[in-house]
Amino acid sequence: MSVGPVQRDAATAEFFDGTAAGRFLLRRCPAGHVSEPAVTQCTICPSTELDWVEAGGGATLVSWAVTWSRSSDGDKPRRTILVIGELDEGPWWWTQLGGDIDPEAAALAAGRRLRVAFERADAEHEAVPVFVLA
Amino acid sequence: MTALGKVYGQTSAQFAAEAVRLAVADAGLGLADVDGLLTSSGVTGGISIDLQRDLGLRDLRLLSHLQAYGSTAGAMVQFASMAVMSGTASVVACVFADSPLQPEVSAGAVYGSRRAPAGWWGLLGASGVIGANPMYALAARRHMDRFGTTSEQLGHIAVAQRDWAGLNPAAQLRDPITVADHQASRWIVEPFHLLDCCLVSNGGVAVIVTTAERATSLAQAPVYVLGWAQSHPGRYLRRNTDFGLVSGAATAGPAALAMAQREVADVDVVELYDCYTFTVLLTLEDYGFCPKGEGGPFAASGVLGPAGKLPLNTGGGQLSGYYMWGMTPLSEAIIQARGSGGARQAAVHDTVLVSGNGGVLDHHSTLVLASEAGAR
Repeated sequence: MSVGPVQRDAATAEFFDGTAAGRFLLRRCPAGHVSEPAVTQCTICPSTELDWVEAGGGATLVSWAVTWSRSSDGDKPRRTILVIGELDEGPWWWTQLGGDIDPEAAALAAGRRLRVAFERADAEHEAVPVFVLA
Repeated sequence: MTALGKVYGQTSAQFAAEAVRLAVADAGLGLADVDGLLTSSGVTGGISIDLQRDLGLRDLRLLSHLQAYGSTAGAMVQFASMAVMSGTASVVACVFADSPLQPEVSAGAVYGSRRAPAGWWGLLGASGVIGANPMYALAARRHMDRFGTTSEQLGHIAVAQRDWAGLNPAAQLRDPITVADHQASRWIVEPFHLLDCCLVSNGGVAVIVTTAERATSLAQAPVYVLGWAQSHPGRYLRRNTDFGLVSGAATAGPAALAMAQREVADVDVVELYDCYTFTVLLTLEDYGFCPKGEGGPFAASGVLGPAGKLPLNTGGGQLSGYYMWGMTPLSEAIIQARGSGGARQAAVHDTVLVSGNGGVLDHHSTLVLASEAGAR
């Protein structure tokens, strides 16, 4: 499985402008606290004065799980590794691990270094952040 | 309780109304005695405070629809208890019903249909994180990675609950299984096999909450609500969060036991919310039945199941019994406290600990029920 199609809405427009340019945007309040992109209030203090700040792209593996999806043409099920990555700025992000990786062979464990990358379902839909092994 | 499981042809609201009628009759009351109604719906919705009209209830003094996901049933009993203690109402019916199962449609199609194509939720789905299975799998894997918990250890929970279900005529899955069967069942989302995951059921369950004084003159032996608590940690899901390692049960369990003036060692029967085997394991740790991180060895030690020392999810739970969200552990707790469990009745059932869990380990409710009023 690769990423699925997703469309922007008013709340996600700036974030997807970022992913289209290869940037993972986080929210930052005047005190400098960094929160995940979906928040409307800082997760550390109650500030709602949030601007966007680009994440460095580095992360560490928190946890992972493996899903199996059946393809419509009856081929053997395809494996997708889902991960929680902790961005170096603090927030967690839940997405898939890009690349055709065998989870056993990769010997995944918490703390493994990851890097943000972007994939699209097709040209008509938004670029979706994924993690790849650093 | 209505008929539960693959029961077709009724809406959720019809199941809810039937459950309230059955519970009122079970208590030896009439619908005219009900002056409070709390409603709760599952994944398919369809229940609201309009249930008052469906049941023809007049002059209610308490009426609300509650939503705290899988912790709602416990929360309803807590609010109902506060209502009868304060005199806000005297007889409160608390009801949950759901009807996700349809003939010829897979349960996965019903539960998976909430996928949103746009916005933040759409992005999560496009990333591949769709529904509860992957989120709980990520929680369980973190526990495994941190503490060495294994899939086989989770399998012991599934096997023990199936053994209990074999003694429960109302359970949906009653054929015995082994840990090898658990290991051989197909992957849902690794590290979860099929036999780590709960059922899906149609039906409704209602309970009646009234004052201790009034309960003594009704048709059934009273079950006393001695303690309760909720915990909604509100995790930020960022550095150092304890997702997958500790849940709100670690706060709500001790608080409820303290209110009841009981300790873990006093608990005779445990009925835990079990959307997955892992939820049981984590809640056992959080409540203090074993040290943090040792839930796996504890589950595999032989302490569980009808032959074990700890009566846990004695009706088969949601893994093998029936999936009525928080009403599954609550209903079995009441059956056990009454001593009406038949072949699965725990010999000692004075104090029963009940959990509810909602979201992805986000919401927790605990109840301490007892067959006798007051202190030990």
